[in-house]
Amino acid sequence: MDTSDSTQSASHGDVTDVHQKIGHLTRQLHNALNELGYTERLRGTMGELPDAKSRLSYIARLTGEAAEKVLNRVELAKSEQDELASDTQAVKAALIKDPVRAVASGRLLNYLADVEKRTREADSHLTEIMMAQDFHDLTGQVIARVVSLAATIEEQLVQLVIQTAPNPVALQTPAPAPREHLAGPVVDPEHTPDVVTDQSQVDDLLASLGF
Amino acid sequence: MANTLRFLIVDDFSTMRRIVRNLLKESGYTEADEAEDGVAALNKLRNSRFDFVVTDINMPNMNGFQLLAEIKSDEKLKHLPVLMVTAEARKEDIVAAAQGGAAGYIVKPFTKATLEEKVANILKKMGL
Repeated sequence: MDTSDSTQSASHGDVTDVHQKIGHLTRQLHNALNELGYTERLRGTMGELPDAKSRLSYIARLTGEAAEKVLNRVELAKSEQDELASDTQAVKAALIKDPVRAVASGRLLNYLADVEKRTREADSHLTEIMMAQDFHDLTGQVIARVVSLAATIEEQLVQLVIQTAPNPVALQTPAPAPREHLAGPVVDPEHTPDVVTDQSQVDDLLASLGF
Repeated sequence: MANTLRFLIVDDFSTMRRIVRNLLKESGYTEADEAEDGVAALNKLRNSRFDFVVTDINMPNMNGFQLLAEIKSDEKLKHLPVLMVTAEARKEDIVAAAQGGAAGYIVKPFTKATLEEKVANILKKMGL
């Protein structure tokens, strides 16, 4: 056996050793997970991930709808404002040209009535734009829940690393996350039992209770 | 009478407080103050005159149910109508609010017309 043969043989021995060590670590991790009860805990947390996915979809939908609503209203309002500006210029020109005729023909009065109507419409657009901002409250509540889930997963993984480390450091038992009693916005009403989906259902339920 | 009534709007999201406040103003109820949770709301209610409470449910420190219970167990405050405006859509929550003495319940997202109608109905029932 020459030098290169002995080197190859030693190298092969190293690889086998590494494989054995990885196999050993894997078994240790598997046993640790089972002994510490992390298998079930991690499985439980992972079970919440589809819910997180559904919540994120809800946020995307709500913010998208709010943006659409605002843009639609802004486009309508701008178009109406353009018409109003154009009408104003025309009435102004008529008044300069022949003020008596502009008033007598009723053009000025018609214009003022139009301004009144368009002012009401502009106010309605502004109210709808304001109402569209309610997505902030609803998505904020949902985001808080997703962040809480991410924090739980992180915490469990950190605990797992600590407990399975070769020289385990003193274990700090994490404080249990407070279980929120309130459910928050319903992100998937079709698959959520015993919830209302609109105000009329609330009113019907309250009416059935005598309210 | 409407414009002399004083409202307290309770919600942890300032956006929602501003929306409700503006909607009430559009409906002619110009007197309003705000609180970010039940604790701040109780503090204001006990130190100033209010005629109507509009509150969210899911809030830190003291939620809307707890605030409702505090109001209804306080001799000086229990006459106040409490309208819950919330994203909590479970039937059990609606029933609990009604049984706890809430004057009305609105689920978010809501419309201007819904808020206007509920406030008007509550005031009518109270003879205001």
